[in-house]
Amino acid sequence: MKIAATVLAILALLGAPLLTANPFVLHLLILTLWAALLGAAWNLLGGYAGQVSFGHAAYLGVGAYATMILHLRVGWSPWLALLAGGVLAAVFAGPIGWICFRLRGPYFSLATLAVAEITRLVALNWESLTAGPMGLLVTTLPPLTIFGAPVNWESKAPFYYVILALSALVTLTTWHVARSRLGAFLLAVREDLDSAEAAGIDTVRTRVLALVLSAFFVGAAGGFYAIYYRYIDPDAVFTISLSVEMVFVPVVGGIATTWGPIVGAVFLTTIGEVFRDRFQSGHLIFYGFFMMIVIRYLPEGIWGRLSQWWAKRSATAAPRTRRGTANGKSPSPTPSP
Amino acid sequence: MHPRFLSRLALILGLALSPALSPAQEPLKIGAPQPMTGPDAPFGDKFKKAYTMALDEINAKGGINGRKLEIVLEDHQAKNPLAATVAEKLITQGKVLVLTGGRASGQAMEIASVAQRLKTPYLVDHPSADAITSKGFDWVFRNNPTGSIYPEAWKKFVTDVPGAMPKSAAVVYDNSLFGKTIGNAVMTFLKSKGVTITNDEAYAVNSLDFKPVMTKVKGNNPDYLLMVAVSTTDAILMTRHAKEIGVTPRAFVGFGGGFGVEDFAKQLGPLAENVYSSAAWSGNPNDGATATFYQNFKAKFGISPHEHETEGYAAMYILADAFRRAKLTGNLEADRAAVREALLATDMTTVFGKTKFGNYAGPLGDNYVNQNVNSPEHVVLAQWRGGVLLNVWPKAMAETNFVFPEPPEKK
Amino acid sequence: METFIQSLVSGVLTGALYAMIAMGLTVVFGVMRIINMAHGEMVMLGMFGAWWAQKSWGLDPFVSILVWTPAMFALGLAIHRFLLRKIMPGGELNVLLYTAGLSLLIANLALLAFSGDYRTISLPYALRPMRPFGIAVPIPLAIAFGIALALTTALWAFLTRTDTGRAIRATAQNPESAALMGVNVPRIESLTFALGTALAGAAGVLLAPSLYLYPTVGEILSVKCFVIVVLGGLGSIPGAIVGGILLSVVESLGAVYVSVAWKDAIGFVLFLLVLLFRPGGIWGVARA
Repeated sequence: MKIAATVLAILALLGAPLLTANPFVLHLLILTLWAALLGAAWNLLGGYAGQVSFGHAAYLGVGAYATMILHLRVGWSPWLALLAGGVLAAVFAGPIGWICFRLRGPYFSLATLAVAEITRLVALNWESLTAGPMGLLVTTLPPLTIFGAPVNWESKAPFYYVILALSALVTLTTWHVARSRLGAFLLAVREDLDSAEAAGIDTVRTRVLALVLSAFFVGAAGGFYAIYYRYIDPDAVFTISLSVEMVFVPVVGGIATTWGPIVGAVFLTTIGEVFRDRFQSGHLIFYGFFMMIVIRYLPEGIWGRLSQWWAKRSATAAPRTRRGTANGKSPSPTPSP
Repeated sequence: MHPRFLSRLALILGLALSPALSPAQEPLKIGAPQPMTGPDAPFGDKFKKAYTMALDEINAKGGINGRKLEIVLEDHQAKNPLAATVAEKLITQGKVLVLTGGRASGQAMEIASVAQRLKTPYLVDHPSADAITSKGFDWVFRNNPTGSIYPEAWKKFVTDVPGAMPKSAAVVYDNSLFGKTIGNAVMTFLKSKGVTITNDEAYAVNSLDFKPVMTKVKGNNPDYLLMVAVSTTDAILMTRHAKEIGVTPRAFVGFGGGFGVEDFAKQLGPLAENVYSSAAWSGNPNDGATATFYQNFKAKFGISPHEHETEGYAAMYILADAFRRAKLTGNLEADRAAVREALLATDMTTVFGKTKFGNYAGPLGDNYVNQNVNSPEHVVLAQWRGGVLLNVWPKAMAETNFVFPEPPEKK
Repeated sequence: METFIQSLVSGVLTGALYAMIAMGLTVVFGVMRIINMAHGEMVMLGMFGAWWAQKSWGLDPFVSILVWTPAMFALGLAIHRFLLRKIMPGGELNVLLYTAGLSLLIANLALLAFSGDYRTISLPYALRPMRPFGIAVPIPLAIAFGIALALTTALWAFLTRTDTGRAIRATAQNPESAALMGVNVPRIESLTFALGTALAGAAGVLLAPSLYLYPTVGEILSVKCFVIVVLGGLGSIPGAIVGGILLSVVESLGAVYVSVAWKDAIGFVLFLLVLLFRPGGIWGVARA
């Protein structure tokens, strides 16, 4: 049953471009996967390690710019440049983490915000490298053939598969980290930094590792943005609002869970699109409102609540245990698979 | 849960977005991504008014070959990725024949990129970044002048009027695409004339405080203060702070829409007096058809049209003219190509002046493609006089005589 | 020299208003140990209050501050009572995320209510600045500076001279022992949050005639405010004052002597340096 559902899900995701001829639906799927990628990447640090970053746009921007510059100036293939963008964002994140992790809790959050703003200002003013406010534009993507078949850049399908692969990779990474020693260290760091330190965990190294992983995926997401939209400027990839919206995805879906960011991304993107389509505005009102509702009534997120409920149901098997959601309001969300 | 969700998502979206099946004489659709909400919403509204007014007129006269014209507005909230998204949606879901609008340059770049990729003509009516028509996008056309052409009227003024050539100038511009382009165009000109540039200051959009930069400018006592602002609030605040700090050049010159809107005079009162605005014109007020348009617009909406309204209104007539000449078959892709061919052959006059698209080099050396060849004449130097903005240069479209130099401030 | 004095004067005048906003945030942090991400939105509401009062009732902002300060105080009480109080036990990060949501909600509701239009308040008597010794002093800013000074003094007197004020300070130092000494901590928290909101609102009203207002202006102000409180030391009121004036003067001098384009970066770099080397703030006691 469970295996059948998984296989079906994978087939549906792989076949989506064949199932729908509608490029706009595919575009929305790409947006959803992109949001899931960002949310899951943020979750590695913000969820599992409990280090709330409000400055992840810095890594997105660095990834986007690195991809664009490597492609335009150095002539690398855009996809190679995308991966390099992720790597560069990760390298960039290392020293930042080393500096910022000397700070805790809200101080850390504020420091990340400042780092992101400084990065934005550098991107805006270092014109010889970034072209400043002019932004970078790629008009045509170089031809590429896979197994003898030319890739059609005008269609959505190649982009869809790339973002699908990236989100699958981040989900697998999260799944793996959650079960690894690193995951255990991260949880220890989140629960109590001092005790973790006392237990002999190198907490700075642990957190930097989580940040570097996180930054790699955010940077790759930035690279994807650059190639998909083909135009970037500092205001598009370095904004505070991007940093904040990235946080919403795992919080709504289920912080420190593997599947939460995906659920959050599907939920937020769909709602956002419906709001924009029907009311012409207001999706951010809804984002804010929903964020508050979730933290108040559903601190473990949609997926977190669902999986708790599921675990409880299968554990007791008896049908008469509906009311047992007593720890639903636990202040620090329990991680679940 | 995924496949079910996916299919449901597709179903919901399909239902919400699929165009209604229409009768044989379906309208000719024009897609316009505009900021209808968000910080730029007031501008979206200006264009909406202009578009609907023009289309009402055209449709009242029977439309084009019996078919009505319809504008489909999509909100991009002044966000670049959203502009790309809605442009794509208009082309693939909305089945529009052409795109127009965009409002700001960043969003227009995205729209142009999508239009080029999906082979749909895009008539730019207001965004001014040079790059939009200098990246070789052959599906993109622009009727309005580019940013680097904006200062042309002021350049003519200082060249033609005896004694007006600046001895020195401070250039203060925002570091947006728009601000940088105009700042560069102005400084290139100043350097070519050997004028000392006392200040070359780029500020962040929505700076909130211009007192520091104006303090710095004042220390250098420039002969001209040249201010560039993409945001109206920056234009207002910068002028206010310049005068508060006591910068006293021979002329205050503003580049960018903000220096020309009614709010500028309303908020600054006497401080706005004699400030120059060098910008895209709103058509020649001394031209009969344009004057009539101003009156009709004012009668209909109660506000005087400016640059934006005139551009939007003119764009509809340019598109209508292209539709009339294009051989439309009902095949969307072929029709889009036909409209593009028709636009290439456009040679007409609207309330915004003459339109003919061509390829040529801009003042900063950009190679324009499908840029209106008359653009260099579509700029004007105007001056605030008693709360009204009046054209002063070139002479042919002047509404009054200029005041120069700035008279000393009354104590 | 004149340039230097002029930028110093401008910096100090604006700095006093920055300081007022930061005081609101820092007082709340001191007592409740939370950072209110929606603090800038409270300033924005004050600015819109001032604009609206002038437009609808013809009230000068420096008069309508008498209306808006209590109104914002009441709003603060309501936010604490109906929203924050339930979240507080969830820990500081939950509150951080919660107020980030609140900030988005308020800013976008304001966008819906007022549209994205920029607005300015012009005071007919204040178009031209005073020019003592050739230094330009904008009148609205000078008045705002005076009122900010008076409010700050009043706040200081309240905190040091009244029982409630002493209870607030005691709670800030140590909530447990304050509770043991009979301080009603939940009531003090509620009062402090309302006080912080009222300060932000009042600062908004005072800033409105000197700046312009639009619904998302809170974001810029929030970020500036974070920089200030860290500079001064989170939770320290004198620190907020020093930090506010310092940031404003640094921005002002930086714009003149370094570069306008980089002036915001100077503030952030200063911020990071302080965070790293003096996490307690240049004024405050180390508490990180």
